[in-house]
Amino acid sequence: MNIRRLLIFLPVLVTSVLLASYFWVPSYEAQTRGNPDRLVQFITASSGDAKYLNPILSSDSASSQINGMIFEGLIDRDENLNFRGRVAKDWRIYECAYFYVNDQATTQRWGKLDAAALARHLNQELVGKQPDWQHLKAVELLPPQSSTQSHTLGQGEEARAIEVRVDAPARIRLTLDKVDQLLFQRLQTLLGPNYFSTFDPTPLVHPSVELPSDQLQALARQMLPATVHNPIIEFQLRPGVRFHDGREVTAQDVLFTYNAIMNPKNISPRSPDYEPVQSVEVIDPLTVRIIYKRLYSPALESWGMGILPAHLLNDEALAVEAKAKGIPAEKFSLRQSDFNSRPIGCGPFVFQEWKSDRFIRLKRFDDYWEGAPNYKEYVMRIIPDPLTQEMELYAGTIDDYNVQPHQVARLKKDPRFQNFSGTSFGYHYIGYNERRPPFDDPRVRRALGMAIDVKKIIKYVMYGQGEEITGPFPKQTDYYDHKIPPLPYDPKGAVALLAEAGWKPGPDGYLQKDGKRFAFTLITNNGNPIRKAILAIAQDAWKKIGIQVETDLLEWSVFIEKRVNQLDFDALILGWSMGIDPDLYQIWHSSQTGKYQLNFVGFSNPEADDLIIKIRQEYDHAQQVRYCHQLHALIAEEQPYTFLFVNRWTALMDKRIVREVRAADGTIAYKPITPTKTGTYTFYFNQWVKLPQAPTFEQ
Amino acid sequence: MLSFLGRSLIQKLVTLFFVSVVSFLVIKLAPGQPSQIDPLNPKFTPEIVERIRKVYHLDQPLHVQYLLYYKDLFTGKVVSWRDERPVLGKIWERFLNSLPLFIVGTLLTWTFSFPVGIRSAIHRDGWYDKSTTLISYFLISIPGFFFAYILIILVVTKLNVPVIDMQTFGVTSASPLVHFMDRLWHLVLPSVLGATGGIAVLSRYVRSQMLEIIGQDYVRTAKAKGLDEDRVYYRHALRNALLPFVTMFGMILPGLIGGSVIIESIFSWPGMGRLAYEAILGRDYPVILTINFISAVLVLAGTLVSDLLYMVVDPRIRLE
Repeated sequence: MNIRRLLIFLPVLVTSVLLASYFWVPSYEAQTRGNPDRLVQFITASSGDAKYLNPILSSDSASSQINGMIFEGLIDRDENLNFRGRVAKDWRIYECAYFYVNDQATTQRWGKLDAAALARHLNQELVGKQPDWQHLKAVELLPPQSSTQSHTLGQGEEARAIEVRVDAPARIRLTLDKVDQLLFQRLQTLLGPNYFSTFDPTPLVHPSVELPSDQLQALARQMLPATVHNPIIEFQLRPGVRFHDGREVTAQDVLFTYNAIMNPKNISPRSPDYEPVQSVEVIDPLTVRIIYKRLYSPALESWGMGILPAHLLNDEALAVEAKAKGIPAEKFSLRQSDFNSRPIGCGPFVFQEWKSDRFIRLKRFDDYWEGAPNYKEYVMRIIPDPLTQEMELYAGTIDDYNVQPHQVARLKKDPRFQNFSGTSFGYHYIGYNERRPPFDDPRVRRALGMAIDVKKIIKYVMYGQGEEITGPFPKQTDYYDHKIPPLPYDPKGAVALLAEAGWKPGPDGYLQKDGKRFAFTLITNNGNPIRKAILAIAQDAWKKIGIQVETDLLEWSVFIEKRVNQLDFDALILGWSMGIDPDLYQIWHSSQTGKYQLNFVGFSNPEADDLIIKIRQEYDHAQQVRYCHQLHALIAEEQPYTFLFVNRWTALMDKRIVREVRAADGTIAYKPITPTKTGTYTFYFNQWVKLPQAPTFEQ
Repeated sequence: MLSFLGRSLIQKLVTLFFVSVVSFLVIKLAPGQPSQIDPLNPKFTPEIVERIRKVYHLDQPLHVQYLLYYKDLFTGKVVSWRDERPVLGKIWERFLNSLPLFIVGTLLTWTFSFPVGIRSAIHRDGWYDKSTTLISYFLISIPGFFFAYILIILVVTKLNVPVIDMQTFGVTSASPLVHFMDRLWHLVLPSVLGATGGIAVLSRYVRSQMLEIIGQDYVRTAKAKGLDEDRVYYRHALRNALLPFVTMFGMILPGLIGGSVIIESIFSWPGMGRLAYEAILGRDYPVILTINFISAVLVLAGTLVSDLLYMVVDPRIRLE
């Protein structure tokens, strides 16, 4: 019967056509060993696709990884996390500091004297004379100056512009060859402790409209600050660094990159890093000078930003592109430019091809200033699923793989691959809302921390892939003080500490104080199995010492918007991922404890505030480290968080990949690849080669 | 007929309007911010957040946002917040990627379900029927991702050929035939996985439809008057059993834009499902709303097609 036959024939036909395709598909063999190109190609996998191949717009990790290959910044961190020059050959950090001559004040050292005499004294007695003032290079007197400036009052809708006439008095400029945040404190020993604080600029400022006296005072302080630090970074660019299209990188490109970041149309997520910049000046084609409004030591790091080619993205170039696309030029910005999907930079790899959600292909840049990389091609495949990534690694169609914690024990033993491990930048913690009693008592916070066995969490939840952490700095940096011991696991001690704080066991077994039971809710976000496990462990640990703990798992955006941002929680489990720089202002300073701010636990300590400000104003590494150690000790003492652990990462890679180091005499030596403090193993990527056979290294 | 079409179209447009309002509200009322705004990034100052919200018109009242979005959609100017590329272009690209998967999956589902279901019905309670029932329930209950992993591990380790992505990575300069066959091979596993659940469900459905028809008086009459079994089952019974499936055919249409997140993620398939999923995670409202709108259109078109098909195959039905 025809219909019956047809019904059987159709599925057979479909199946056979599908299965027949097996005989044509290239095997893994053809892709790897059978493919000579495979040796000069590095393939890595990423779980998500890139968004913008433009360093000033991207903020996700896949984009950053590719941008790091295509673009190059002025500086970056070397394997010991010190800065080293890239596009910049060298740089110099110095400062100009200013203060207004205070006519009313009597100086401690020289009595009452006029501006010219003060400048003369400073010059004669300080410059090049005393060891304390070695770094002071010049003192100049700037004459009084009157000017009219426009100023915006109020914010947002109520903003209005007013004209202000400013009669600035004589000013003294001090030029220092290094930044000194204590400069004015030192000067106070000569000029008197109140010399700067008694400077009253209010009578010197004349706004066009009548202002209330407090507003006028604030305005005057803002327009004529008694003292100003202007740190300056002067970069000397390396000659002969070229973009992939052959144009040389000049100071104009640096200026352009800065302007592009600050252009409000581009809404660059990087702009806050550059807010303290007062101006960027091109001195000559290879020199650029950056003047800052105030002391801000994290500034240097921001010049690791990839340099954009001005000639491809300036207003004329964008106008041409807008016209070709039929969009009015004023509505068109860098954000919409096709540059973001076929970028040109000056880094070691040139952009080739991007297939959305499939792969991004780069090829090496032969004119790279440091010498072309050994690999001819760099490919990032987008493979969302870790299991398929793993299968592709076994097959040899990707070269490295980030191992999940539970796989480490098994895969580290795999003789087919080399493996690397290191400490991540970031940590998990339990944060307590210090606005709510009893969390305002450091003894209670300490006791809660002591009741939790972090070692067991690391062992069983993290499969051993974590390390204890005692404070807010990345563990592999100098800023972290390894001498500070972690909280001991000591439930008995915790009970004793709580008793000291007034929490004693009640008749029902729960701790209580003034007839109130110790009870609170611990929350975290849903979808993170590690935090979920910690939630249960902490609840159980605290129950054992007599605390009643409710737990709640919330969807991420509800968790952030309704609870964290609104400061509506007792205790929460979260993690921070960090950069290298030790600036902790947003997370720990007491001015950041409001709604929508990041010091949501409400940690507030004047001593810590002072240290946080000193850290972000200190340009001397050793001194900064000393401040950081003090702050670390203070935070460990206060226990605003129970610091839990920092993750360890592990990666597998093809055993045949090694570092090829060329000595000056041309001899080639092979070295094994090792992880660096930067948190990766790819630091020497440009030297990597894949050998046909895995080499053996002596242990 | 024409009046039916006209009324139906007006009804569907009204429905579409309400769907657009409701889906817009649901998405806007759901908590979360576009991924450009990262609330836990210390570098994000309130000014920046405000500026981003302004660029995306998030500071405007809801009805203004609604009008702005649909104006952009109908003038074809709507762009993704993720990368500023036109949403329609992105969807079209992903649609072309998902289409082969959809076609092969549908082919497998529909060609397999019928013979399997019909045979089960004819040999009701026999060993064949019982074993297909068992297998069907097994296939329905096995989690798709788990089944996918098992298949991938088997194929990769035993056959030593790649299965993920749309084509073999890194092998170029092949003839068009190899190229075609390569792409076909990469369709096999994901479409088989996509079809298993469908086959299991649809064949059960075919079976119950056939059973119902086989029990009818006219089938008994046909048998009694001595027609051979094949003719009874495959001509008289099957034709009547097919009726409900005709309506199902119209409901396939929305599947065109659906795509499976799990299958696509596991097989690194750059399809619609992943686009939609990532858009939801990143709160990329223009992409979510556009996909939502297109699927609403397809659902409504599908019901219209079913109605019409029904009318064609069953002359007793008159649409008024």
